[in-house]
Amino acid sequence: MKKRWHMARKISYIILIVYALVSLAPFVWALLVSIAPIIYYANGKPTGVNIMQWPPEINIFKLPPEVFGAPATLSNYTKVFEVTPFARWILNTVIYAGTVTFANLVLDAFAGFAFARLKFPGRDLIFMILLGTLMVPGQVTIIPIYNMMVHLNLVNTYSGLIFPKIASVSGLFLMRQFYMSIPLEIDEAAKIDGASIFRRFLQIDSPMALPAFATLAIYTFMGMWNDFLWPLIITSSKDMFTLTMGLNFFRTSYYTFWQLMMSASILMTVPMIVIFLSLQKQFVETGATSAVKG
Amino acid sequence: MRHYKEWIAGYLFIAPVVVVVGMFVVYPIFLSFYYSFTNYDALRQQEYKATFNLQDQLQEYFMVLDMKNLVPKDLLSQFDPVDFVQAQLGIKLTERQIKEIKKHFNSKAVIDDFVNLKTDKNMSGAQFFSIYMRGNKGMFSKYVPQWLGMKNFIKMFKDPLFWATLKNSIIFSLFVTPIQTILALLLAVAANQKIRGIKFFKLTFYIPSITSSAAISMVFLLLYSKPGLINRILGYIGMPSIDWLSNTSTALPAIMAMNIWTTAGYFMVVFLAGLQNIPKSLIEASELDGAQGWTRFWKIIVPLMKPQISYVVTLGLIGTLQVFDQIYFLIKNQQNYTTSMYIYVTAFNYGRMGYASAIAVAFFTFIMVLTLLQRHFVSEESYF
Repeated sequence: MKKRWHMARKISYIILIVYALVSLAPFVWALLVSIAPIIYYANGKPTGVNIMQWPPEINIFKLPPEVFGAPATLSNYTKVFEVTPFARWILNTVIYAGTVTFANLVLDAFAGFAFARLKFPGRDLIFMILLGTLMVPGQVTIIPIYNMMVHLNLVNTYSGLIFPKIASVSGLFLMRQFYMSIPLEIDEAAKIDGASIFRRFLQIDSPMALPAFATLAIYTFMGMWNDFLWPLIITSSKDMFTLTMGLNFFRTSYYTFWQLMMSASILMTVPMIVIFLSLQKQFVETGATSAVKG
Repeated sequence: MRHYKEWIAGYLFIAPVVVVVGMFVVYPIFLSFYYSFTNYDALRQQEYKATFNLQDQLQEYFMVLDMKNLVPKDLLSQFDPVDFVQAQLGIKLTERQIKEIKKHFNSKAVIDDFVNLKTDKNMSGAQFFSIYMRGNKGMFSKYVPQWLGMKNFIKMFKDPLFWATLKNSIIFSLFVTPIQTILALLLAVAANQKIRGIKFFKLTFYIPSITSSAAISMVFLLLYSKPGLINRILGYIGMPSIDWLSNTSTALPAIMAMNIWTTAGYFMVVFLAGLQNIPKSLIEASELDGAQGWTRFWKIIVPLMKPQISYVVTLGLIGTLQVFDQIYFLIKNQQNYTTSMYIYVTAFNYGRMGYASAIAVAFFTFIMVLTLLQRHFVSEESYF
């Protein structure tokens, strides 16, 4: 019996380690390429490094360390900012993700509280209709939304980018679930004390719902940071691009600037990993509980 | 009295979300259905809005360089308003509009203004018609697509590319969903064996799912390239180098593998939480009963994990059927497009929004039926 247990654990370790390597390898490779110097052509001969080389010939005992047999460099990271309006793209992405997140926190919380705690005619019907819209895939609505933006002259503007995303039903649902889990007695007590509805929302229930706000903020921010379809459709000029749109810039029909592309990819991924690592509890727990409930 | 206060507060609190969802989800659904029965052309929606200088246009039309000594009578006999609007202003007209113009267009007023140098100003097509039409101006105020009835849907049924993309989407979903589910379950079971460093594994597996599909696509573009890492590694076991993404038979499987890599880790965390909720006593009891290995996995663990499996499969199906970003970045050949990519290209590259909407509506119905069926079966099973 015990022996079999050992066997099972050994196999488990092997599976986990192999998959961890598979998970990390693409990132590691991207990182290596991003610090490799760019190949230059001099007199028709390529001089520089072969980033497709395998194994990648790493020597960390030199200064600077070597990758692909050449001294590692961080110049690709600065170059990304020189050859493209990368700073502008970061700013656009922060504006897009930040505004959408803020608007969602406010609007979804108000509505979530109303659906959880207030009684008014038609409440459940409206809620059911809203939930039903979750089944509609984005591709069905995107053509009319784009045309709406054309009519409103909002194509290629921040308003056009942000406006359709300022509230979400899934966010509303999350907030409602959380407000519902707050014991009713607390609310009742406040009511008896004469607290107004707005005060109950703002000063009594919402402070207790902070974990839900945090979860909603993380998921919305991340979703918008990584969003591609809507920026693709609504932005048309380079200075309005978000980061996801900008990545395509390092690829032309003739040549792909791998080093720059990998540097840019890493630059846009790092903030997400930092957010994730610093708030991992929120992620792993909500990811798990939403499944148990769903 | 208190009641009404609560009602008003309730409506005020939900109003913003209801308005936004109404404007950007509900109303567009109806518009999509409407578009799907028309020949809505994105390239034409500016027809009546684009501005032009009327005098320049008329000068070009009559081929006159000099605005002196113009003879109104001659000009009038040369002037065909239908031809002028279509050929010179670039506004396409329907049969009915042509009839209206022949009946109600004031050609004389145009010529008089032209000769009297009153036409040297910028205007849009809509303004032009509102000045020079005697009646029925509403017909010429904005671009109205033509009603086609079921023609778009009939066209769709005969469109081989539509069927090819639908097949791709379905194959994509049918391969990716089960594989990512089983892989995630396997990883979760492995991680549930009192493993050291469990936190490290969880975090590592989670990272691909928080990385943007754009960045992931770019990294895999490198890995899948002909001299790339994946060909190098496969070269060790004697496989020839393949240009994974250009080759029509390998492009889609390559993206499927990438998709599984992206999502399996996230789903593993979901499963692990479910596994940790299973009471230890149940597992121990099954051990006493002599259930081991696979038997225990299939007979005890899988049934207890039904809510999580259902969640993962539903999310997987919906996510894979709608896959777009990776296809946009990595697929070159339209034979490898998925339906959502085909919708995008038809609507936004070719401007054929009517036809694209028809495909979108059909595809949406398909996904919805599938989701409902899946829910139906799952809930029925759970009565056992």
